[in-house]
Amino acid sequence: MGFVEALRQRLNQNPFKGFFRLNRLRPPGAVAEDHFMELCIRCSRCIEICPYDSIRRADIYASLQIGTPYIYAEDKACYLCMKCPPVCPTGALDTRLRKGEEVAIGKAVIDQDLCLNYLYVKEEESGKVTGMATICNTCFNACPLRDKAIVMEKFLLPVITEECVGCGICVEKCPTQPRRAVNVVPTGMIDEKSSGYYYRRNRVRQSQPEGDRGAVSGEELLERKEQISTFGETPQFKSDFSTDGSMEGWE
Amino acid sequence: MFQRIGFYRRCAQLLTLLAIFIIPLLNLYEITFVKGTFYSMDIGDVALADPLAVFQAMFTSRTISLIMLASMVVPVFLVVLFGRVWCSWFCPYYLFTEAVAWGRSRLSVFGIKPFTGRYREGSTSRQNIIRYLVLGVGLLLAGIAGIPLLNLVSAPGIISSQALILVKFRTVSFELVFILFILVLEFFFFKYWCRLFCPTGSFLSLFQGRRGLKVKKIELECRSCHTCIRSCPMQINPMTEGDNPMCHNCGICIDACPDNHKQPTLGFRFR
Ligand code: SF4
Ligand code: SF4
Ligand code: SF4
Ligand code: SF4
Ligand code: SF4
Repeated sequence: MGFVEALRQRLNQNPFKGFFRLNRLRPPGAVAEDHFMELCIRCSRCIEICPYDSIRRADIYASLQIGTPYIYAEDKACYLCMKCPPVCPTGALDTRLRKGEEVAIGKAVIDQDLCLNYLYVKEEESGKVTGMATICNTCFNACPLRDKAIVMEKFLLPVITEECVGCGICVEKCPTQPRRAVNVVPTGMIDEKSSGYYYRRNRVRQSQPEGDRGAVSGEELLERKEQISTFGETPQFKSDFSTDGSMEGWE
Repeated sequence: MFQRIGFYRRCAQLLTLLAIFIIPLLNLYEITFVKGTFYSMDIGDVALADPLAVFQAMFTSRTISLIMLASMVVPVFLVVLFGRVWCSWFCPYYLFTEAVAWGRSRLSVFGIKPFTGRYREGSTSRQNIIRYLVLGVGLLLAGIAGIPLLNLVSAPGIISSQALILVKFRTVSFELVFILFILVLEFFFFKYWCRLFCPTGSFLSLFQGRRGLKVKKIELECRSCHTCIRSCPMQINPMTEGDNPMCHNCGICIDACPDNHKQPTLGFRFR
């Protein structure tokens, strides 16, 4: 990223509005971050009412958001008791929200390079033993929406579904150190401008598979298209499964 | 000399100070009849809120909700009836600043003469201009930033929410440094925050009308010793300017008047 672009991005960011950080969540029912910062009067009433001490008052390290409520999922997740949304005096938290399943704090993301269960399956398949792998299942067992928000693929691999409300309990309980294998990406802050490094890195990872030559246009595209020929060698696709040479009834 | 009004006022202040610790403590034990901080508070089913905080939220978000409006009703009504009694009778910051002022007056015991501002003809309107300018610029900045910015410098709200997290988490956050900062400056210079800057107080005094509880010169004849002018923490002339929005009905001038024991000279009157 060039200097000018970095500067532009810096200046376009409103320093008063929330910025993206993994596992740092607004209380349940919070409206989108832009609107939230307009409405929250830093009254601490959500903090006061929370029986689990989940919500903290942001300190100076949150710069100008000092005084606003945050849930730091690694320390203490939200237990979805739904006591906080009704007390908010300004509607920064949706005061009509009553059901835990309707909360949308964020979405959990499992890091497959860290999750002990994924490591276990990888070791099983490759035969390389590192001593790291265990069958953990902690997140699955801890999730209040078990079998809805987290399902176990092949009875072993935790997969987060769309039902996840982002309460962060899985993050709190996940045993991997120092980074958790499961993290919550907060909603309402996820756009490229405000969500920062993690979001961009995620996107780059997903959109650029290995060996991709990248998109081209103009002359180069034309040239590449001219090289496509129906004659000559048929391309060989590598696959790690064997196909039956023939199928019954298709002769 | 027994200061009648001063005594009741001190009681009210101390009770408020106690309350900001008791309320979160009760909430820890799930007694939630009273809950909240001085930004916003529920007593039973009555919602109260700092009118400035709620106004800013409506202003920056460009939405108005019934809860927000309803929570402004009681505080505004109180100001209309009794003036800015919130400031001198209840605000926890005011207790601290009076303690600081007392500490400063002790300085003269050591032969140091603390610098104090003095009432002069016309200084009241100058003070008012500064106050409302600060409030206006603050609201403008809040509008530009798009967040209730003035809540970052709202002393009563900060103090009570600090008390809350002190009770709940046994920590305080950086906002307390701001309070200490203005208190230390008040110690070395003069009492300025409530007089010239506090946006919460200025916003409250906007609702002060011509009617309501005011300090009034009852007996027109007095010996003109000007003790009341010198005692006024807001540096106004209690004899003529009791209905000025600067006055926060603390009653210090009434207690201070030496003639008041013989005949009523200054007093609170509804008008
Ligand atoms: S829903 Fe309950 S546990 Fe979760 S943040 Fe609100 S009060 Fe705390
Ligand atoms: S109750 Fe609402 S306004 Fe008060 S701190 Fe929580 S989110 Fe902000
Ligand atoms: S997966 Fe379950 S525990 Fe984890 S954030 Fe989502 S709802 Fe909460
Ligand atoms: S708790 Fe963490 S390590 Fe265990 S299964 Fe879940 S994500 Fe994997
Ligand atoms: S002016 Fe502000 S700080 Fe001073 S007493 Fe009033 S509300 Fe409190």
